[in-house]
Amino acid sequence: MDQPMELLQGTLDMLILKAVSLGPLHGYGVLLRVQQISKDRLEIQQGSLYPALYRLEHQGWITSEWGESENKRRAKYYRLTAAGKRKLQTEAEKWNRMADVIAGILRSTPEEV
Amino acid sequence: MTLWSRFRSWLRAAMGRSRMEREMDAELRFHIEAFAEDLARSGVPREEALRRARIEFGGIERAKEKCREARGLSLVESIVQDLRFGLRMLRKNPGFTAVAVITLALGIGANTAVFTVVNGVLLRAMPFPEAERLFLVSLTPGGGPFEWQPGVSDRDYLAFREQDQAFEQVACFTKGSTANLTGAGDPAQIPVAYVTTEFFSALRTNPEIGRGFLTGEGEPGNDSVVVLSNELWKDRFAADSEILGKTIRIDGLSRTVIGIMPPGFEFPGAKVWMPLAIRINEHNSFTRPVVGRLKPGVSPQQAQAELETFAEHQPLGPGESKKDRMAQIIPLKDLLVANIRPSLLMFAGAVAFVLLIACANVANLFLARAAGRGQEMAVRSTLGASHWRLVRQLLAESTLVSLIGGAAGILLAHWGVQALTALAPAGKVPRMEMVRIDGWVLAFTLGLSVVTGVVFGLVPAFQATGYGARRSLGQAARTVIGGHEGIRSVLTVSEMGLALILLTGAGLMLKSFLRLRAVNPGFSPHSVMTMTLDLPESTYTSASQIRTFHRRTLEELSRLPAVLASGAVNWIPLGQGLVMGTFQVEGGQRPRGFMVDKPCVSPSYFRAMGMPLLRGREFTESDNATAPGVAIVSQSVARTLWPGQDPLGKRISMEDEPKPEDWLTVVGVVDDVKQQGLAKNSEPAIYQPYLQVASTGFLSHMTFVVRTGSPPERVAAGMRAVLRNVDKNQPIAIASMDSLVATTTAEPQFQTRLLATFALVALALTIVGIYGVLAYAVAQRTREIGVRMALGAQSADVLQMFLRKALVLITMGITLGGAGAFALTRVLMKFLFEVKPTDVPTFATVALTLVLSSLAACYVPARRAMKADPMVALRYE
Repeated sequence: MDQPMELLQGTLDMLILKAVSLGPLHGYGVLLRVQQISKDRLEIQQGSLYPALYRLEHQGWITSEWGESENKRRAKYYRLTAAGKRKLQTEAEKWNRMADVIAGILRSTPEEV
Repeated sequence: MTLWSRFRSWLRAAMGRSRMEREMDAELRFHIEAFAEDLARSGVPREEALRRARIEFGGIERAKEKCREARGLSLVESIVQDLRFGLRMLRKNPGFTAVAVITLALGIGANTAVFTVVNGVLLRAMPFPEAERLFLVSLTPGGGPFEWQPGVSDRDYLAFREQDQAFEQVACFTKGSTANLTGAGDPAQIPVAYVTTEFFSALRTNPEIGRGFLTGEGEPGNDSVVVLSNELWKDRFAADSEILGKTIRIDGLSRTVIGIMPPGFEFPGAKVWMPLAIRINEHNSFTRPVVGRLKPGVSPQQAQAELETFAEHQPLGPGESKKDRMAQIIPLKDLLVANIRPSLLMFAGAVAFVLLIACANVANLFLARAAGRGQEMAVRSTLGASHWRLVRQLLAESTLVSLIGGAAGILLAHWGVQALTALAPAGKVPRMEMVRIDGWVLAFTLGLSVVTGVVFGLVPAFQATGYGARRSLGQAARTVIGGHEGIRSVLTVSEMGLALILLTGAGLMLKSFLRLRAVNPGFSPHSVMTMTLDLPESTYTSASQIRTFHRRTLEELSRLPAVLASGAVNWIPLGQGLVMGTFQVEGGQRPRGFMVDKPCVSPSYFRAMGMPLLRGREFTESDNATAPGVAIVSQSVARTLWPGQDPLGKRISMEDEPKPEDWLTVVGVVDDVKQQGLAKNSEPAIYQPYLQVASTGFLSHMTFVVRTGSPPERVAAGMRAVLRNVDKNQPIAIASMDSLVATTTAEPQFQTRLLATFALVALALTIVGIYGVLAYAVAQRTREIGVRMALGAQSADVLQMFLRKALVLITMGITLGGAGAFALTRVLMKFLFEVKPTDVPTFATVALTLVLSSLAACYVPARRAMKADPMVALRYE
């Protein structure tokens, strides 16, 4: 298995939005979901996860409420808001365009320049 | 970020820091425990799993701190921070803070005091259940010779009561009557009200003890019942719990007490209520106030429409014309406050000006300080503080100052209200008992303080931060000055304008008051004492009985030591009432609409009052019932009826169709007197000797006047003894004529004093303001002055430079203020006596006063500039 990679600057917010877009999650759930869909190839600093969640909530992209976890404990669940959904879409498009451009640059050969 | 989420986030933060902290703890604990459980499931021992989970998570405290930051500083927290910082800044400049706080305390305190009175007198509800549903029904137009009283004639009242659909109940009552209460302590004249039996239930206030009036009470033979006010019951009857069923004597008649009203109930200003049955009398049609309670769901507009229809169809009474009727549905409170409202609103307007001036002054102070803080603002904005945050910081400071000023203002208002109630003319301001600093007043002051803080803080705040952010750090401190000076000049000019308006108003009122005081009433009021009596019909049934009483009293009064002359008149000038009417002229025609006062007087009345006899003779004791009828006319009667002829020997009659013995021969002429008030016209009068008047109605009310050689108050005891000697059952009302005159000028005097006080405060603030602006300009331009002087300018040039600047400001202020005064003083029209609201001498005097005092204020800083040493000035900074 590959060594997990550290996250690129500024991508954590997008990943959180994506994770909660698939269904309401508590903080630990966000962590697990990102690891699961990245097949353990991405590593999130647990300490930076919560400030990011609070920031996203303050900005109105996600919203939270207290609920019951799988193991019958009180946990705070985060859900994507309508504004968050739009934000995720634009962020994803921006990321894809950026990735294409970067990939294009990196693929270029001496002949093309 | 949506506004809503921002708001929710703030709201949550505002709900309590601790709850958020608890939630954050719970959330992080859940994370670590869930993580540890997962580890435990993969075989790690439980203790070890928890430990590993913590380590993996990293610094929990640091994460929490970042979470707090991410959530943003809550509004409440940052406001607390702003206030704390503001407080620190204010403490650092105690002089500045003190001046600002005192200025605002003056402005806010004066406004709070006036509002307390306005609130109590005009705004607070009448103390009845659902008082807002109570209205007066009125068909009388205003503009008569007396203060306007809403009312309905008895005839119209009976018809209206039959037809009316809008009111649950309508009740008719009298206002301003008095009666003699005897047999309960000293005899006393007390205010009473005669009310129809629906009165108490229309007000939905029943006696606390006993009962109200029953239907049919008030009819003759059935009307000897009475309801007492709680206060009278306590003062005069020692709160006798057995009083129901007992009889008391009012105007000499026995009446059975049937009820005691709850404490505080005294509408319409009475201590005793007696039943009234409305009957139509051939000769008299009374017009009295009528109160009604609207049915649920009926609006005042509907009632108004109903009353208008009624007025349209109700046949007119004898001698009545359509324009004698004006249908009006008026809030009940207006019965008491309609006449005082204009002057209270005038005070409220004037005092608002004082606050505006105070605001301008403090704004100037803040601007001056903002210039000094340009550097601080520049640093903070460079370090990342947002523009809005800096504005908020400065607004927090200004609001803090105004809140402290407001708190001090409440204290000032507490004394102010006491002073106002003490100075207010006795009996002229109704509902004074409602005046107190209550929750509404406190809310008003709080609101006013916050608004004030924002108003005077906004401009300096935007100025300071705007420049602070734009200028580079080094320049900030110096370059802001020019811009500020413009705004400060605008503030000063408007301040002067406002002050000029107030001063002009006060000047006009003062001139009017002095004119009023200088009015010759037609008699000489000094060294005269008066004693007024209302002899009750029940004891004094015939004219001869009353005359005997009068003659005995006059005899005894004239024997008192130091009495020069004593006389009697039934309606004293400047007193409570008068008899006015028509008459017939022998062989001539009375001009249309010419009516005269008809006083009955004793022989030596004119001497006692100091009214000079212009022609003929005075009345004597021999002008009695058996002698031929005589009369003395006032000058204007003689001039009007017999221009260019000798009035002596002419004959007139008070009867509409005089029989031979009804003719009165004119034997003398006296001056006209001011009967109704100094501000009113002198009135024509025809005097009759009281010994020749037969109607008890003209004799039972009598005022005895005594002219003395010693201070008039000294004979009061003697007068009292005389009355007790003649009839110990009569209440005593003794007053000096000077004080009666003063009563009639008490209201304008109060208005003048109050307006003058406001105007002087405004003037003082303005002078401080203009001084401040100029002193600041001089201080800021010290360097420039130094350069100019080094280049050869004379100190006179410098003085001229600053005085020119001051003159520009003053001229603009005077021009604007003069225009404003010209537009606004017309609201004073109805308060002014023989002075036009645009009185040129007053305008000129006031403007000159303001110019001179402003120039004096400017001279000090300008002189300082002149004396500046170029070397010192150049080294400045």
